Amino acid sequence: MAQIAETRVKNTANTVAMRSTKRTSWRKPLMNLLRHLVLIVVSIAFVFPFYWMVITALKENTRVFTYPIEWWPDPIRWDNFSTAINYTGFPFWQFLRNSVYYSLSVTIGTVISCAAVGYGFARLRFPGRDLLFILTLATLMIPGIVTFIPTFVLFRQLGMLGTYSPLILPAFLGNAFYIFMMRQFFQGLPVELEDAARVDGAGELRTFWQIMLPLVRPALLVMAVFTFLGAWHDFFSPLVYLSERDQYPLSLGLFAFRSQRTTEYSLMMAASTLTTLPLIILFFFAQRYFLDGIKLTGIKG
Amino acid sequence: MAAIVSRPSRISPLRRRRALAGYLFVLPWIISLLVFTAYPVLASFYFSLTDYTVIEAPRWVGLENYRSLSSTDPSFWISVYNSAYYALIAVPVGLIVSLGLALLLNMQAKGIGLYRTLFYLPALAPPVAGTIIFIIMFNSQGGLVNQVLELVGLSGVGWFTDPKWAKLGLIILSLWGVGVGTLVFLAGLKEIPQSLLEAAGIDGANTWQRFRHITLPLLTPVTLFNLVMGVIGSFQVFTSAFVIGGTTGRPLESTLMYMVLIYRHAFRYFKMGYASALAVLLFLAILIVTVTIFRTARLWVFQEDEEQAA
Amino acid sequence: MNDDKNLKARSTLSRRAFLQFASAGAGLTLLAACAAPGGQPASGGSESGAATTDTVSLSFWTPGGSQVYCQGFGTIAANYKELNPNITIEEAQCGTGEQNFNEVLLARVAAGNPPDATIIWTSPAAFGARNALVELDELMAGSQYSQKDAWPEGVLASCIFNGKTYGLPVAAGTYAMFYNEELFEAKGISSKREDFPKTWDELRALSKEFTVWNGDTLESVGFIPWDEDQYTLPIWSALNGTQLYDAETQKYLLDDAGNLEMMEYALAWLDEEYQGDITKVNTAGNWSAGTDGEGRPPAFQEGRMAMMTGGFWLCGDMYAVEPTFERWNVAPFPVGPNGSETVSGYWPNWLVVPKGSSNPEEAFKYLDYMSAEGIKVWFANVPDLPTNKNVSTDLFPTLMAEKRGEEVAREVTDFFRGQLDIATPMWNSPVQDFANDQIGRILEQIYTKTAAPAAALAEAQQACQAELDSLLQQNA
Repeated sequence: MAQIAETRVKNTANTVAMRSTKRTSWRKPLMNLLRHLVLIVVSIAFVFPFYWMVITALKENTRVFTYPIEWWPDPIRWDNFSTAINYTGFPFWQFLRNSVYYSLSVTIGTVISCAAVGYGFARLRFPGRDLLFILTLATLMIPGIVTFIPTFVLFRQLGMLGTYSPLILPAFLGNAFYIFMMRQFFQGLPVELEDAARVDGAGELRTFWQIMLPLVRPALLVMAVFTFLGAWHDFFSPLVYLSERDQYPLSLGLFAFRSQRTTEYSLMMAASTLTTLPLIILFFFAQRYFLDGIKLTGIKG
Repeated sequence: MAAIVSRPSRISPLRRRRALAGYLFVLPWIISLLVFTAYPVLASFYFSLTDYTVIEAPRWVGLENYRSLSSTDPSFWISVYNSAYYALIAVPVGLIVSLGLALLLNMQAKGIGLYRTLFYLPALAPPVAGTIIFIIMFNSQGGLVNQVLELVGLSGVGWFTDPKWAKLGLIILSLWGVGVGTLVFLAGLKEIPQSLLEAAGIDGANTWQRFRHITLPLLTPVTLFNLVMGVIGSFQVFTSAFVIGGTTGRPLESTLMYMVLIYRHAFRYFKMGYASALAVLLFLAILIVTVTIFRTARLWVFQEDEEQAA
Repeated sequence: MNDDKNLKARSTLSRRAFLQFASAGAGLTLLAACAAPGGQPASGGSESGAATTDTVSLSFWTPGGSQVYCQGFGTIAANYKELNPNITIEEAQCGTGEQNFNEVLLARVAAGNPPDATIIWTSPAAFGARNALVELDELMAGSQYSQKDAWPEGVLASCIFNGKTYGLPVAAGTYAMFYNEELFEAKGISSKREDFPKTWDELRALSKEFTVWNGDTLESVGFIPWDEDQYTLPIWSALNGTQLYDAETQKYLLDDAGNLEMMEYALAWLDEEYQGDITKVNTAGNWSAGTDGEGRPPAFQEGRMAMMTGGFWLCGDMYAVEPTFERWNVAPFPVGPNGSETVSGYWPNWLVVPKGSSNPEEAFKYLDYMSAEGIKVWFANVPDLPTNKNVSTDLFPTLMAEKRGEEVAREVTDFFRGQLDIATPMWNSPVQDFANDQIGRILEQIYTKTAAPAAALAEAQQACQAELDSLLQQNA
């Protein structure tokens, strides 16, 4: 392909050069402006729910549902945040610790297991591979609400109720969703790299660890971020398996602001904002570090 | 060893070793995974053949649950219709939107990192708070969405108070959660070698041609992923439908999704056996669709097979 | 190729090192998983609480509630401990208050370690019919406060299945007609309770006085028939001389003459007063007692609705949104064309002892205590009306006393207490939730005129009866 490119370049270089100068003089800045405009409009649509959450957090509870809608809190109650943190049924720092512990453990387990298993399904050939893969995928097709009872009974037999074990251990065994995802990413990698490594005499493990894994770093990041996110927001598993309030993660703690007939909306939104803040910080740095500046040299020739 | 193949004998031990390595990598994980996940799944299949209140032990009834599948609950067919309608629209729309967003976010523009974070903000908010906010936004009176519509000259719609619009509202709501799909596409886009695109540019290909002939084909493995996960997810949509429509799928059962039917039979009516039968039916439906997608995948998904390379 | 060089140049990670690292990492995290937050597996009810001569420990759950409500149980438990030093009630497990509670409770029952005692928000008749609860008749007979006659008959009916009692209806907010005295007086209509409409026809005639349309928009409302609400429908059915469900014969009566008349009456009313269009009514305002899903304030407190059905809790919840007027009152329900006397309804909280409880006798004693004594602490936090006749009649909601004065608060509370005695049996079907969902479904269809009342009622009747019959068949 490079050869053809070279010949073409020789033949058309001048024309292309002339055309491009004519094009880019006014087109590029316009495209840029357009891009930014679209980005801004879409951002507004996506940011709005978050904006609403924050301003509700700053409103007085009785002013949350006014009609017509108030777009800016009046008065601004900054103390809602401190009230939420010091709310008796909501020991914020304890819950935060638990959330970090839970989410981190699940993320580590998932990343390790799914990368390895996904690679196995994508690149290594062994009998029964495809059947096993379909079976793995099939486990996603049965809704959790039906499988949750036997799973619960199983963990009860194992004596793990009241701890985080039923929530974390399965993560180390792989998650069908991410196994599937990693398989797809590994399949998208050029085979030449693998072969090059094998020609060099690298074993399977080294091929995986040193060559293939670094190439799917974006995918690993996606997996890590969303696993963390999912665990951070998961309230049902902790609800079912944990028994002491001290063990609760933030997601479960948020229900402290709901009572039988009323909800402390502004405090709940304040607590929700605090719950989301660590995620935002994490997300911003993660995506910046990994998604920017990745340059793949690819294969030449 | 007789060389029955014309390939160099060097490949055979290599293939054996690779197969062994494959097992080593995968089998320990898979066995334990299947034990933990297969057992509950198999248990569900078993429950579907029983009457199971969860309170007491399951009582065998054979195929009774399946025979009365559509007659036990008058809302059976409408829930099937709702779920099919939802999936048919939400999946393609979700794919297009997440691909579009990924392309937008792939640009090398100043402050793109900021935009990326902004796009994901709704996905980062706790679902409990998030749903409340969405309901407010889609308020049929003074909600933001209706106000924007009126701004551009269209009239506001009843959204979650109008049976004609409720499902569409749910679908739009699902778009706020395109986070995973978009990031997956983005990661896939990042993997496309720049050199390839540059070379094509030099060849004279314009942006659209580059997209159509290089980007899109190279994205097909992750597109397959997003497509299959989209199907599996949309058939099982639950939380948004349940929060907005309750157990009866208000208004007028327009938001009654199949999963809500399963849920209410499992935990409100004490009929886990029937609920399991519903779940098995759902499983079969998803399985058929997924297998079909995989079968056709050979035609359109870019896959580098080790066989070919060798 | 360049990659060759890169490969060799990288520091090698031997296979052994990798495996060691991976297993160490996995092992460490696993250890942490077992050792971290709340490391001791909770034993739940079954392991602890064995009846020895020393302390007995019992677990107690509630599906959910506010901060103050949950903490109230701590106070009740502490008080109980003072009277019974060898019984310890563990810290009450307060759920999220959502439907999730059933899932958690059922999972624990299935796994064999349910709580020793719990509050439930689903009918005990339903749970009891499926063998989930301990029968309480004998325990009640020998109890201090909870004999059968200590409970209002209509309210206790919700706990009975096949003649056996499965729960204690510790608190049940009763329903009544709420009306805006000031709106009445402004029109020159008597606002005294004894002058309030006594029949449906009177109610309908009075409602017309207050309903005002501005073209296509409804501005104010008198009364909306039956509120399109499946939870109060049993009351209106009883007011018309029939029932939705007959527990004696275990038969549903949804499509009988009285119920059909009830629905057709509502439709005729809708046509006459509300342009026959329930959608227009619902778009025009929030005709309930609390802020609705769309964030609109309740019309009653805004002074746009003259009369509505409400529960006892409304005496306090009325002030969640400050009303534009001061004086409101309550009155008994008017009687339908086919009815003879006024009745009321209720929405209870039930106390039950799950089967598998580690010590049913002691658990019941605690529930007995809570029904008469503990309820006072509960009431102070959340004014749920106590139903047991042994509870002091001195209680009244403090918030209401603040707003309307103690005398009014007492009087109104006495009235609601009186409603307990004429409460019609509700919540007493073993397929209660299924029936409620079916009725809710047809109510929507009937009110929006997507189905005729006769056909819709017949469909619901068929489904509910079939569901009930299949359950009874299994129990036989």
